Amino acid sequence: MAVPVLKSAPVLEVANLEVVYKNAVIALRGVSLTVAEGQVVAVLGANGAGKTTLVRAITGLLFVHDGAIRDGAILLRGEDLGRMSCAQIVSRGVCQVPEGRMLFPSLTVEENLKMGSMTRRDRAGISQDLERIYELFPILGDRRRQEARWLSGGEQQMVAVGRALMARPRLLICDELSLGLAPQIVETLFEMLARLNREDGLSVLLIEQNARMALEYAAYGYILETGRVVLDGPAPQLRDNEDVQEFYLGGGEHVSISYSAIKHYKRRKRWLS
Amino acid sequence: MDKFLILLLTGLTVGSIYSMVALGFVLVFKSTDVLNFAHGEFLMLGSYLALTFLVSWDLNIWISILIIAALICALGVGIHFGIMRPLIGQPLFSVVLVTIGIAIIIRAGLLIIYGPLERGRITQALPQSGFDVAGVPVPWVNMIMFVVAALSVLVFLLFFKMTRIGLQMRAVAENLEAAAAMGVSPNSVFATSWGIGAVMAAVAGVLYANYAPVIDLNLSAIGLRAFPAAMIGGLDSVGGAILGGLIVGVLEQLAAGYIGAEYRDVVAFGLMFVVLMVRPFGFFGKEDVIRV
Repeated sequence: MAVPVLKSAPVLEVANLEVVYKNAVIALRGVSLTVAEGQVVAVLGANGAGKTTLVRAITGLLFVHDGAIRDGAILLRGEDLGRMSCAQIVSRGVCQVPEGRMLFPSLTVEENLKMGSMTRRDRAGISQDLERIYELFPILGDRRRQEARWLSGGEQQMVAVGRALMARPRLLICDELSLGLAPQIVETLFEMLARLNREDGLSVLLIEQNARMALEYAAYGYILETGRVVLDGPAPQLRDNEDVQEFYLGGGEHVSISYSAIKHYKRRKRWLS
Repeated sequence: MDKFLILLLTGLTVGSIYSMVALGFVLVFKSTDVLNFAHGEFLMLGSYLALTFLVSWDLNIWISILIIAALICALGVGIHFGIMRPLIGQPLFSVVLVTIGIAIIIRAGLLIIYGPLERGRITQALPQSGFDVAGVPVPWVNMIMFVVAALSVLVFLLFFKMTRIGLQMRAVAENLEAAAAMGVSPNSVFATSWGIGAVMAAVAGVLYANYAPVIDLNLSAIGLRAFPAAMIGGLDSVGGAILGGLIVGVLEQLAAGYIGAEYRDVVAFGLMFVVLMVRPFGFFGKEDVIRV
C-alpha cells in the first residue's frame, strides 16, 4: 500500500486496525489510513465493508455493539484513542455525525444541539457556538423549540451536523452524510463542510457510499472492501481509476450479457445514488 | 357526597406516594432498561429507617428525610456500580431476577435487624390534628405528605428539564449510542437514575411511615402498586407515571370505600389490564419502547 504524501503532520493515524464483534465476527482486517491536519479524506465502500465499524472504533463506540479492537492502533496526534472512553475522545476534538443521524427525537432542536457540548464547560462559548450554528443553518434557528422528530430529513441532518460542531471538533467524522437526502441538500451540507475546512482548518473524514460526491470534496480517498483497504490514492487519481469508475462511479463501458456482467451491473447500481 | 370527597382526598394523598414510587421505577427503566423489582423494598427500607430515626432517636423528621434519602441514594448508586454495571449486556430476564434477589436480601436484612413484629405508624413526628376543608376533615399528616410528595416531583421535573445531567438522562433514554457519541458517559447517567429513583422511594417511605396503618414487611407491596401506576401511564413516560400514581390512588380509595376494602388491588390491577388491552404501551407511552 502506498504511503500518502503528507503536507502536514497527521491528525489521525489508523494503523493495522483489526476489530471483532462478539469475539467472533471480524469486521476490520488490518485497516490503515491517515488524515492530515486540515485535510478532507474520504473512505468509500459498499454495505458491510466495515465503514461504520471504522467510525465506531475511532470514536470509542464499539462497546455499544459488543465489539473490540483486537490489534492495531488509532492515534490522534500520537495519542492512542483505542483505550479511551467516548467522553475523552470527544473532548480531544473528535466528533461524529453518525450514520442515520441518530437524533434524540423528543428533544427540541436546541436541546439536540446542546447535547453536542456535553464535554465542554465554557457556558459563554457554548451559547456563542449555538448562535453560530443558527447562522450556518437559519432554518434551525426558526425551529429551535420544535421537537427534532418533526423535522424533514434534510433539517435533521443539519441538526446532526450542528450537534457535532457544538463539540468544537478538530476532526469531524461524517458517516453517510448523503444517505437518503435530496441532492440539493447534500450539496449544501458538503459546501458547508468545505467552507469549515477552508476557513477553520477543520479536518474531515467522509465515510461515504456516494463516491462521486465524496471524491469531489476530498483530497485523498481510501476504498474499503470486506474490512480491508483495497485501494487508496489522491482523489483525482481515484476518480480516473478504471475499477473505481466501473464499481463506484458507474462509468464503466462493459456491455455484455454474461452473468458476471449482470453481477457487475447490480453491484454498480448500488453506487448510482 | 362527603364520603366521596373524603375518599378523593385520601386517594390523592396515597396516590401522591404511588406517583413518587412509580416515577422512580419508570426513571430507572427509562434510562437503564431494567425493571427494578426491588423498588418497593427501597421504600420499605425508608419506612423502617424512619422508625429508627424518628422513634428510637427522636430526630426531626426533615433532617431524617434528608439523611435517609442520602443513605438509600447511596444504596441505589452502589447497586448500579456493584451489581447492575457488570450485568450490562446480559438478557433482561436475568437482570430482572437479580433485582428480585436484591429485594429478598433487603427484606431479610430488615427481618434480621427489626424482627418480625409489626409496628404502629409513627405518630410523634408530624402533627396528629387536622383541619376542615368545606366540611371535610383533612389530617395534617395527609396534607404534609401530599405537599412534600408534590414538591419532590416538582423538583425532579425541574431537574429533568433544566439541568445538564437531566438533559443527558433524557438523551440516553432516547438513544444511548448517540448520547455516548456526544461524549456522555452512560454509566454516570445510569448511576444518577438509580440514585434519584432510590431517593424518591426513600422519601415516599419516610412519609408513608407516618400514614400506613402498620409498618411491617408487607409495606413493599406499595412497590407493586406503583407497577400498575407506571403501566397505566406508559412505562417510558415520566408524566404518565405521576398521573398514573394519582389515578391508582384515587380509584383504590373509591373501590375500598364503596365496594369493600378487599377490592383495592383488584381495581388497580384490573385497570392496568384494561389499559394494556386498549393501549398496550400505556396512555402516554411511546408505541416503540424498544430502543432502535
